[in-house]
Amino acid sequence: MEDNKVVLITGAADGWGARLAARLAETPGLRVIGIDAKRPSEAHKGLDFVQADVRNPLLVDFMKEEKVDTVCHLAFAENEPHSEKTFDLNVMGTMKLAGACAQAGVCKMVFKSSTAVYGAFPDNSAFLREELPLRGGQSADSTRHLVEIEAFNNGFLRQAPEMCLTVLRCASIVGPSIDTPMTRFLGSHVTPVLLGFDPMLQVLHEDDAVAALAHAVERDAPGVFNIAADGALPLSKVMSLAGKTAVPVVHLAAYWGNPFFRALGWPVGHFWPMPLDYLRYPWVADLTKMREELDFVPRYTAEEALREFAGRKRLEKYLPHSGDMAFDAELLRDTIERGRRQRKQQVTSLMKVTEEIAGESWGEL
Amino acid sequence: MDAVPDDSAGESATVVTSSQSSAPEPPASEAPAAEPSAPGDLDEQFNDELGKMVERVKKLAPDYVAPPFSVKGAQAAISENLDRLTPEFGRPLLVKLRSTAGDFLDADTWRGVWYVVSYAAQSQADFIKRRMSGDYATDDWGFDREFLDAVQPFLTFLYRTYWRVEITGMENVPESGRGLLVSNHSGQLPWDGVMVATAVYLEHPAQRLVRTLYASWFPTVPFFSTAFVKLGQTLATVDNGTRLLEEDQLVAVYPEGYKGVGKLFRERYQLARFGRGGFAKMALATQSPIIPVSVVGAEETYISLAKSRVVASLLGFPFFPITPTFPWLGPLGFIPIPTKWYIDFGEPIPMAEYGRDALDHLVLVSQLTDEVRNVVQQMIHQRLAQRRSVLLG
Repeated sequence: MEDNKVVLITGAADGWGARLAARLAETPGLRVIGIDAKRPSEAHKGLDFVQADVRNPLLVDFMKEEKVDTVCHLAFAENEPHSEKTFDLNVMGTMKLAGACAQAGVCKMVFKSSTAVYGAFPDNSAFLREELPLRGGQSADSTRHLVEIEAFNNGFLRQAPEMCLTVLRCASIVGPSIDTPMTRFLGSHVTPVLLGFDPMLQVLHEDDAVAALAHAVERDAPGVFNIAADGALPLSKVMSLAGKTAVPVVHLAAYWGNPFFRALGWPVGHFWPMPLDYLRYPWVADLTKMREELDFVPRYTAEEALREFAGRKRLEKYLPHSGDMAFDAELLRDTIERGRRQRKQQVTSLMKVTEEIAGESWGEL
Repeated sequence: MDAVPDDSAGESATVVTSSQSSAPEPPASEAPAAEPSAPGDLDEQFNDELGKMVERVKKLAPDYVAPPFSVKGAQAAISENLDRLTPEFGRPLLVKLRSTAGDFLDADTWRGVWYVVSYAAQSQADFIKRRMSGDYATDDWGFDREFLDAVQPFLTFLYRTYWRVEITGMENVPESGRGLLVSNHSGQLPWDGVMVATAVYLEHPAQRLVRTLYASWFPTVPFFSTAFVKLGQTLATVDNGTRLLEEDQLVAVYPEGYKGVGKLFRERYQLARFGRGGFAKMALATQSPIIPVSVVGAEETYISLAKSRVVASLLGFPFFPITPTFPWLGPLGFIPIPTKWYIDFGEPIPMAEYGRDALDHLVLVSQLTDEVRNVVQQMIHQRLAQRRSVLLG
């Protein structure tokens, strides 16, 4: 038990924290500690749960005592609009936790961000690289907090250069059991789009988001990485894959009407859970660094993720509680295809390793 | 079909009196002289044409299987539709079919007709269903080949009929691999970009797709932004250009930008500044040959007499031209003048002799930018010296 790596997951009571904890608990050689301000609704096997807030100053002592090596910070209110309360949890919480980690000698931090931090702009390149300036976050949602945290991270790395800080900027996450702006957008009954605009979009399956976090915890990969499923799709195709009929709205009317209806108390946020620019301009992230440096390949392609999501949503209309997908032929076909791709990828990565070894031994000779 | 009443006149004398009274004279005098049209000959010709069509369809969709042809099925189709005809029209038609089906339209012919018609219906239905269910492919840049196929006839019309584009030097465009087309820009609307891409698509032996880099105003314009992306074009940033060239694509840039496209009529064919040399950086970074391109004829498609800065800033346009027809005639003002166009593809300027670190050599970048600009300007002058008429070439 002594040489086990100790991973601390914040926000482990529910959401991403609980999912990651459940996944890492299966990994041998890892001790997983979860903290959260609230109690978990159900007990997770293999998880030591401690009820504590990330802003608690005694966390330094706790982490020293438990010899925590890695902190995965997921205590982040992502679905709530900006307010002093959420700002305090999201931004101040992250700053305090980072400080505590540096003081307690934690060597690695993993943080989940979003590709929305780049912002959707008409002059965006087709594929946004990690080192570009972050221009997102003018709107009143949690993207603003993410941009602030990422700016803080840069300064923090100068103060604690030996810290292995991994930031995963995930594309819009879709999945049958997760609530994100994209699932709300694709799940509502009416999906209005902007007439004459069809930007390219990226998605990420919820399982792949957890897998990416686990991947970052298990191996050392300092830096910022964009994470998204294979394939950028035009919005119109995303909608038709999700089985939605788009209702086009003249963009000027939408831009002027949106704040107006919001002020009247109409639930327009229900139709447009993201700022309108994200349905107008491209914000596709470049995945070269994810493939080459992080060596991570999402299992679901964008089309597979959307098809699965759509099938589940269709079924939920009839069977609200049990999502029984056993009869969906498309789903099984996608699963078979995924398995095939993964085997192929294992073979190629094995070959790569063999080649490297062979190359090294040749070099020695 | 005008030969049919002539051939079968003897057997079905009671049928279709109106066509008999009018039709026989011209074919009787012409048919023997022009073509010795025995029923067998015509039969064969028709069958041949049908066979070719079937072959074409088979090539398009190798795995398409037509619903089984049967005499009964064909008859059912006929009788079903016969109910919709008036008896006066239907009876003669049936009699005529009976008399001609034997020799002119044999079973094989019917089978061919059946195949082509059912394929057409099926493929149309499939196409709509596929688009609706999102089952179509775009690349990561958003290029949608089916969209290009759909608008291609219009572009071909503009290219062949409207502007009667003449090209030289297509052999300078590489057969495969990366290449950077650098062209002058003119004509208020970017039709020249569309025509250069169409020229390469129609006239290049490899039918290459040109990835044109466009200015950052277009993504804000509804429909334009969507159409450009679906046609495989992308925003003009050094990042995008470099990435496309690294993918071994053929990229076209118009470094003059708005300064070029929004030229006044009296400034025509005087090249503006070639941007900030971004295209030279792209070419150096990826070691792609630069192919200078000159477009002559596009300057006169709209006659811009003045530019209104006030209206432009009110509408958020990069510039607002005032021509004899625009904005006075509204949408009619968008109709371009059908001038005669010449597109010349010049000798490639190789980049391989410069090392990859030449990218940071600012003097070299600006020299290269000026060199390409001079080459394009010279090509334009040469072409202008030969041109006699703006409209006829």
